Amino acid sequence: MRLGEASKMQSSINITPLVDVVLVLLIIFMVMAPQMRNGPEVDLPDTSKPSEQGDERSRTLVSIDEAGKIWVNDRQVAAEELGEGLRAAVGADPDPKVVIRADSKLNFREVRQAMLAIEQAGFRGVGLIAKPTGPQGE
Amino acid sequence: MQFDSGGSDSGLQSEINITPLVDVVLVLLIIFMVVVPLLMKGYDVGIPPASTEAAPAQNEAPQVVLSVGPTGCPILAPPSGEGLPADCRVTLADQEIAAAELPTRVAQVLGDRPAEKRVLFLGADDRLNYEGVLRIVDLAMSGVSDLKIEFIETN
Repeated sequence: MRLGEASKMQSSINITPLVDVVLVLLIIFMVMAPQMRNGPEVDLPDTSKPSEQGDERSRTLVSIDEAGKIWVNDRQVAAEELGEGLRAAVGADPDPKVVIRADSKLNFREVRQAMLAIEQAGFRGVGLIAKPTGPQGE
Repeated sequence: MQFDSGGSDSGLQSEINITPLVDVVLVLLIIFMVVVPLLMKGYDVGIPPASTEAAPAQNEAPQVVLSVGPTGCPILAPPSGEGLPADCRVTLADQEIAAAELPTRVAQVLGDRPAEKRVLFLGADDRLNYEGVLRIVDLAMSGVSDLKIEFIETN
């Protein structure tokens, strides 16, 4: 009988193509995510043993690129407006933490001036972001 | 018989079901791939607040100053390779030492202080390369745990 034959057919939905599509979407988003990160591309200094500075979403990022231009998160600010920019970016966060992502080719002066401006804006202590040397550092 | 291993008539599914295993492994992989690039590494440093406080009392341990200048340690361009150039000399607590000795010397000077008093004042010349300065910070911090670095102005 026809009904009897039909019951021998595979009755569950084939989820393999669905999983394929979802995984490909996931991979696309994972590849795109680094490009959505805040601020400019910065060639971070290589050092041997930097310590953990936490997740970059929980920090206020100050980026200084090769040419000395300053970003607060994803917004470029003039050097003299760094303090105001920072206060605006921090908002109502009761325990703001500021980190500096500065380019390795900069002079120390640019970084120190940014640190002074951050300190004058009322933030105590900053993290200087580096990348560890070695095979996993790239 | 049901437990006959050699039986060709076994209707039991004999393979391990690996689908849940693969699911778990993939989810773990995805979590790590998303989280790892967002973690940052670096150094906690500070700038001493423009002081209206009184000068430290006489009986307190003296402040330890590390100074790095462009004549003693010529890191004006990003140092190549790892570490610092061999001719880099710095001044720690008025003594000129090679930068490579920094971890041991910092441990000597500050190691016996309580953790909250381990402060190193670092005066780095403005003309130095940022990466070089950060490598000096790295060396100093590798000598002793819980070290606080405060950048001071050099004139």
